[in-house]
Amino acid sequence: MPECDNPLWPCAMTGAAAALAGFEGMSVVIHGSSGCYYYPTTLLHAPLHGTFILENEVIFGSEDRLREVIEELDGTGNRIAVITTCVPAILGEDTPSLLAEHDVLLVDSPGFSGDAESGYARALKILEPAVDRSAEGVNIDGICLLDPFFSGNLQEIRRLLGLASVPVATVFCRDAFSKTRTAASCTIGTNGDFLSGVGKYIGGTLGFDRLKATFERLGDVVEGSDIDPVMRELSQQEEEVSRVCDKFLRRFDPPSVVVFAGASYAEFAARTLEHYLDADIRFLGLRNTGGLSRYPSSLVTGLGQVKTMIELHDPDIVLGSSFERSVSGSRAFYGITPPLRGAVRLAPAPVAGINGTLFFVEQVLNTCMDHLRPTI
Amino acid sequence: MHTSRSGGCTLTGALSITTHVRDAVSIIHGPKGCAHHNFSLFHATMLDNEQAALPDLVSSALLESDIIFGGEEALARTIRSVCDRDVSTVFVLSTCLAGTIGDDVDAVCGRDWPVPVIPVPTAGFLGGSFQDGVNNALIALTVFSEPSQPGPCVNIIGEKNLEYEVEENYAEIVRLLALLHIPVGIRFVRNISPDDVPALGAARLNILRDPSLVPAGEHLRQRFGTPYIPSFPDGLSATLAFIGSVAAACGIDPGKALRTEQEFQAEILADFADIGDSQGIFCGPVMDPASSRAAREAADALRIRMSGNKDACQLPIHPVVGSSGIRRMLHRWRRAIHA
Repeated sequence: MPECDNPLWPCAMTGAAAALAGFEGMSVVIHGSSGCYYYPTTLLHAPLHGTFILENEVIFGSEDRLREVIEELDGTGNRIAVITTCVPAILGEDTPSLLAEHDVLLVDSPGFSGDAESGYARALKILEPAVDRSAEGVNIDGICLLDPFFSGNLQEIRRLLGLASVPVATVFCRDAFSKTRTAASCTIGTNGDFLSGVGKYIGGTLGFDRLKATFERLGDVVEGSDIDPVMRELSQQEEEVSRVCDKFLRRFDPPSVVVFAGASYAEFAARTLEHYLDADIRFLGLRNTGGLSRYPSSLVTGLGQVKTMIELHDPDIVLGSSFERSVSGSRAFYGITPPLRGAVRLAPAPVAGINGTLFFVEQVLNTCMDHLRPTI
Repeated sequence: MHTSRSGGCTLTGALSITTHVRDAVSIIHGPKGCAHHNFSLFHATMLDNEQAALPDLVSSALLESDIIFGGEEALARTIRSVCDRDVSTVFVLSTCLAGTIGDDVDAVCGRDWPVPVIPVPTAGFLGGSFQDGVNNALIALTVFSEPSQPGPCVNIIGEKNLEYEVEENYAEIVRLLALLHIPVGIRFVRNISPDDVPALGAARLNILRDPSLVPAGEHLRQRFGTPYIPSFPDGLSATLAFIGSVAAACGIDPGKALRTEQEFQAEILADFADIGDSQGIFCGPVMDPASSRAAREAADALRIRMSGNKDACQLPIHPVVGSSGIRRMLHRWRRAIHA
């Protein structure tokens, strides 16, 4: 069934914009209509430029308009990148030659070519990130403007690396554009759905177990690092998580859970809730095709599938986006997936790192208890 | 041919109408991303307006192979799949991609389907602007109605369903109409059933949300003979003029209604006497002439002077409706002046 009801995930063009717009010193141009421009602009809260092409440019060619926009941006000192949307992508124009004259990057990432992850990866590849063997520290990747937790993740992983006396090299994709060419030789991740592929991947930071393993490896490979402060904090906080989860289980049954998220966050949520709360993980509805999971899982692309899976598995709590919240009825809900509409979010909450697990467990427990406790 | 680069997407404009028809499905003939963009936008707007219902959008999910060989079969397959569901109506809206590859959407919709399948001229930016999409969808929906004898009601045409204050603006119009003892017929189109649409031709007057809807107002006038007022009122004097215009169109003496509204406006201005005689400059994301005129009139009434100094107190303006809209704007001014 190729048709899709209420599609849940952004297109490749939006993913490409999310990657490029994260870099300072880069001017990103959406080559297409105003409609294609407005969506990534409102979603990413990043400055983007557009060609806003019109019907006559579809008929007579859009190159002049693209050249006009590029020339307006020339002289800012920024590197210019152009992302093609669906219509310009099929016009058959020789856009690469035009852009080569201006030393502009071209990301051919029309919406019909795939989902956000594929556009993100395509854009990152065009940047040709390179390792500089003399660069100190480690890179952080998985920082994607589409992710509502990107800011909290970055803050938290910077904090932990600081505790371990490990310098941060390049952040993919939230850094100066020039630093894409001076990445360190090792990388740690915050969200496996948006890997950079730059340097040697040391490991992820989602969940205490992965975080511990990653920092142990970091301690081995980064000269001058001292991971003991991180390990001490991790150990203390894990004890605290165990204590509050144990207290919850003295009074309540473990929750049954259905998760709708990118593969990386879905696995983290399932692993964490199973480990600390003995939760019954009934289903992972994945926004993208991640690796194999030991939990029941499948790709879920439309809202109809979400409704079906929630009704089928009848969980106590649903984790997902505000799309899922809209069809969760009276079940407990906690948001870990974009979009998270209809709620005010100001503080940079993390999912990664020590504070990420603390915040996640605290939110799930509070949500469950709010649903389970009798009204006073 | 459409010449504004910032006119927005025709598809989104049309969807802002078709998604407010209950038990109907809107098929977006194009790549999945177009449907997702709009689903996300409408989802956010509906949450802002405390509406639990989600828009029912289905994408024909065009892939690269459809772009090469044509997407009509993908559209037919999608319509077939949607018709198998319990739906009253299917709207088909094309995207700029479908328009560029030249799919004959009307021909596919014209096949023999078990429920009404209504094509709405859109095609993204190739179809014009956001507002063109709104007008095209309103006009497409009139297929459900027939001319009939005018009754006592007036219809509200083309409310901005993506507007944050849409219900408050409607409530203000209802309040003004109540001063003239005129009931509202249908809200065309806001949360209606296809069964409501036949009443469209039975109004004695149509009130358009704003002048950009004149093409739809003209279509209704030609089809049903219903006169229209081109806009909701946007300021103090415009509100009084609106009462007068509605009364004239309906053959009612507006005297008492006007006196009541003038007293109400006087009370509003008295409530904000504390910010009178201050200074400021107007600011806001939407500085259209009508909003600026309404703001200027309110400022003059309170003897608030416009400053030439850009560091002066910033008085936010936004598109207001009626005297109540002015009151809400004045609350924002008070907050700014006393900040």
